[in-house]
Amino acid sequence: MRMGTRIAPTPGRHRFGKNGIGPWLVVPAIALLLIFVIWPLIRTVQLSTYTSDLLGNPTRFVGFDNYIALFSSPDFIRTVFVTIVIALLGMAMATTTAVCAALLLRSRLLGGRVFSIVFSLPFAYSAASASVVFAGLFAPSVGILNVILGYFGVDGPDWLTNPFSAIWAIAIATAWYEFGFAFLVMTAAVRGLAPEVIEAAQLDGAGGLRLAWRVLIPLMRPSILFLTVTQTISGLQTFAQIQVLTKGGPAGSTTTFVYRLYQLAFGNGVPDFGRASVIAIVLVLLVTLITWIQFRLFGREKTS
Amino acid sequence: MSALQLDSLSSSAADSARHRKRVRLPRPGSIVRFFVVLIIAAIIFLPIYVSFVSAFTPNGSFIRQGLFPSLADFTLKNFDTAFNAIPIVQQYLVSIGVVTLQTAAQIVTGALAAYALVFPKWRGRGVAFALVLVTLAIPGEAIVIPNYELVSGIGLRNTILAVAIPFLAAGYPIFLMRQAFAAVPFEIWEAAKLDGSGDIRTLFSIIMPACKPQVTTAIMWSALAAWNGFFWPLLITDTADSRTIQVGISQLAASDAANPAVIFAGAVLVVIPTIILVIVAQRFLVNGLARGALR
Repeated sequence: MRMGTRIAPTPGRHRFGKNGIGPWLVVPAIALLLIFVIWPLIRTVQLSTYTSDLLGNPTRFVGFDNYIALFSSPDFIRTVFVTIVIALLGMAMATTTAVCAALLLRSRLLGGRVFSIVFSLPFAYSAASASVVFAGLFAPSVGILNVILGYFGVDGPDWLTNPFSAIWAIAIATAWYEFGFAFLVMTAAVRGLAPEVIEAAQLDGAGGLRLAWRVLIPLMRPSILFLTVTQTISGLQTFAQIQVLTKGGPAGSTTTFVYRLYQLAFGNGVPDFGRASVIAIVLVLLVTLITWIQFRLFGREKTS
Repeated sequence: MSALQLDSLSSSAADSARHRKRVRLPRPGSIVRFFVVLIIAAIIFLPIYVSFVSAFTPNGSFIRQGLFPSLADFTLKNFDTAFNAIPIVQQYLVSIGVVTLQTAAQIVTGALAAYALVFPKWRGRGVAFALVLVTLAIPGEAIVIPNYELVSGIGLRNTILAVAIPFLAAGYPIFLMRQAFAAVPFEIWEAAKLDGSGDIRTLFSIIMPACKPQVTTAIMWSALAAWNGFFWPLLITDTADSRTIQVGISQLAASDAANPAVIFAGAVLVVIPTIILVIVAQRFLVNGLARGALR
């Protein structure tokens, strides 16, 4: 009986051809991605060329009017500038510190295991929860951070009320929370280095800083590149830090792409899905461009 | 010629002597290294230290008492205030629900898709995989408006399902598992097929167990992404009881009633599960999550 069922193909299996149901297993994932990623992207392109009514429904096709209106407004230019500055500052601080920390812990060190865990702790924080911590640190009335800076003789600014220091405050909070993942990735990269190469370099007399700068960092280049790209992309999507710390202020000086999108589409005013969608498209194009550059650079890394 | 040989011989002897010395004695270099690491660690740890100590001491204790407030000031009052300001237990349950639903769905749909993309040969397989790769490059924040229209349009606002629904499938876990499955010898799949094992059974009892480390990485990625979600949960919920803990805590920080000590108490509560994860599984995070990201 069991033999019989095994040899004779079941009618159900026959209907799906020699592959059985195999190929059909892709359907749930692809369907969900089409509904919740691909279609919304197409719809966003469409919305960006329409004006909307009081409820945000598209009303009239206006071509590139929304684009022109946004690109010609000084506020938007500042948003582009602010977003890129925050993304690059956060990325640069997090990556540099993570490369240093991972390299310093490469060989045995007193308490090395404890230090590794301490350096990984920011990974436990989301952008939102890290921002909440920094909200307490930067709080104007109590200013714990400034009190601590005072111990070292540093007179800290009123972080969130001055446009210049507010951008730094956002970048510092961003860098701190990005550092956790950056450290994990850089530690994995350092562990992946071939020990023979390092030993050969050490026998050649390279040690300490020279070994790190001339040998290890060049070997880690692909990983460092990966990290700078992913962190720049995540920095371009900065939102929680703004929502929790500054609400885009003071006077719009920390308004990023996603925060502007949020204000336009979901803020207190009349929803403007058209212009919000233009910002979304700009974000998609920027991220696609960076991803494309990454692929080009990675391709070159592999062939060289 | 011989002098040259001798020279190189003696220099390599000196090298190995230096090498031995390095192993035995702590060099001045490693003492410097220790203090540099200590300073970086102090800076990284500072926000965590301040938030934990502040959460358990009365507001303003840092200003009155310096970096090390006295243990006698220990209090749970800040947590009491936080618990009264927002429904923290309820929001924790919402977050746990979202994490469970989102992770389970992403792993099941992802494993099924990865299986279909690796083992059976069919037309359109390349196109399907290309589509998955394309979704990896689309920032989630950029497509919230249509998703918002859709999900509120079907009346799901303020539910766990609404928070999870756009993420029941995700590109990255599909990609991770596809790469892992592709490394499984094809003969294993063929042998299972010849044995009469159906696709579903082959996937869940043969292929997935063979790729345990990568599947674990995918689960951890999905769970962390679900737990850390902020923008979408903020948009699609507007009652305190339906919010995730991440959104709830951020609202606590924004409310005028909360002083920094209460905000810190909230920050402590939201981060405890992931802090434990990092302390317990730091090695796995490096070897699984971080190494997986590099591939």
